[in-house]
Amino acid sequence: MTVVVFAQAAIPRDIGLFEFLFGAEYWTGAGGILTSLWDTVVLCAAVVVVATVVAVPLATALAHHGRGELSVTWIVTLSRAIPTFAVAGLLVPISLRRGLGFEPWPIFIALLLLALPPIYLNTYTAVKDVDRGVVDAARAMGFSERHVLFRVEMALGTAVILAGVRVAAVQVVATEPIRAFLGGDGLGRYVRDGLGQNNDNLLLGGAILVAALAALTGVMFGLAQRLALPAGVRRLARPRTR
Amino acid sequence: MNRRLLPLLISVLALFALVAAACGSDDDSGGDAEAGGDTDEAAAEEPAPPDGPTIRVRGQDFSESVTIAEVYAQYLAAKGYEIEVLTPAGFRTEAIDGISNGDLDLIIDYIGGALSALAPDAGSSSDPAEIVGIIAPLYQDLGATLLDVSPAVDGDALVVRGDSEAATISDLASIETVFGASAACFERPQCFIGYTDPDIYGIEFADTVTIEFGPLLGEALAAGEVDAVVWNTTAPQIGEQGFKVLDDDMGLHPAQNIAPIVVSSVLDAYGDQLATDLNALSAAITTDDLVAWNIETDINFRESDDVAADWLEEKGLL
Repeated sequence: MTVVVFAQAAIPRDIGLFEFLFGAEYWTGAGGILTSLWDTVVLCAAVVVVATVVAVPLATALAHHGRGELSVTWIVTLSRAIPTFAVAGLLVPISLRRGLGFEPWPIFIALLLLALPPIYLNTYTAVKDVDRGVVDAARAMGFSERHVLFRVEMALGTAVILAGVRVAAVQVVATEPIRAFLGGDGLGRYVRDGLGQNNDNLLLGGAILVAALAALTGVMFGLAQRLALPAGVRRLARPRTR
Repeated sequence: MNRRLLPLLISVLALFALVAAACGSDDDSGGDAEAGGDTDEAAAEEPAPPDGPTIRVRGQDFSESVTIAEVYAQYLAAKGYEIEVLTPAGFRTEAIDGISNGDLDLIIDYIGGALSALAPDAGSSSDPAEIVGIIAPLYQDLGATLLDVSPAVDGDALVVRGDSEAATISDLASIETVFGASAACFERPQCFIGYTDPDIYGIEFADTVTIEFGPLLGEALAAGEVDAVVWNTTAPQIGEQGFKVLDDDMGLHPAQNIAPIVVSSVLDAYGDQLATDLNALSAAITTDDLVAWNIETDINFRESDDVAADWLEEKGLL
């Protein structure tokens, strides 16, 4: 039988905020901040990648062909009104009954639904709002439809598309802690344990960690956004977020 | 496109808002009207309605506590007391905070839980009188009075699936077990710390999962995600889903009778009458009543206030 080190029992009731955030013993080991951080980052990365892979092609195709985009855009916009926690909470018992466990499907699907709209809407807007004159000029020069799509519309829209991914990533990171309330772990565990054990410093420390990771995510995507743009487009692009 | 769709969008949102507002006010006005109606009726019948401050009562955020709070509130309202039932929120900590900082006047709590909250180092006891002896003075320090304990008990329970080989908690020491409980359990001596303490049960769990207290515990147990969960003895799912409660052979779990706690100034303002009335009600509630209420609210999904009203009616307490 394995003996597991439990962070829950190891974090003392009267822990100070700085003691928790800067104490090496709380960063390492099972249930430590590093493990929790890794759990959170892996899930969030998977959600953002899948959301991007689903939403960008869909939005691009719809915007490019100009068909059915209205209904899809409406569905996506309305879906933003669905609370992520409710989705995950409803899915957990279903997942348990099907033998799929607490994780990862319920929280993954809920976060995916959170990440899809900003990426979809930004991509859609990015492609749709490319100057029609440029598109027509490209066609006149003999660009195939595929080249118009990839080399003109998507290239010029990159900044806005990436801005959508960035918004989605920050939202996902900031929302992921609900997983700790649904049988999972991740950074939200400190918020959950802080609430459950009436340990305000633990609660606050957990919230600071989550906020810091969300802020860091935003900054990193901002940098990636700059690097990903070709120099010529970088001057042209006026990034907008929706 | 946008100009045409904007009014539609606004009207859809307005519709949502209306529905939401209607639902919210429905609940509120329903509760108020009921409490108010009871008060008026009782006031008309009773020769001398009790005179004193409004008693604010709030259940903790799980169905049994909500129903208990409704039972006490409706009973007092029928006796002519001014009662305000607040939206259930928080757990024990928030309830104790509520009476000590003046937000609440009456809470009904489980004495063993109160013991671990107020005197975490006092150890555990399965004798209600012993626990009362410890917590009554501590409540006095908070400006509140612990009234008579009810015979109704909702104790802690370590629950396993029906096909488990274990019969007692000690048996788990030799069985590979994944343990599930709420966050609060993990730092309580009468809970996780007691189970793992080599001087008490000394169980080495294969893994632990933190699960919000409530029906999710049963879902996780039934699905095999965990092998033992800390629940309460009156959880109706235990019988419904064929789980079994392990015998607490080392006597770790404290006695968990319910008891009302009233802010002392409110109790004094009403004189002996309030204490007498509350003690009479507490004496009438049994453990079987708690289980029956939980079946109504958690299995049949009835509203706590209806369940409370029906029970009071049946017992002739309204």
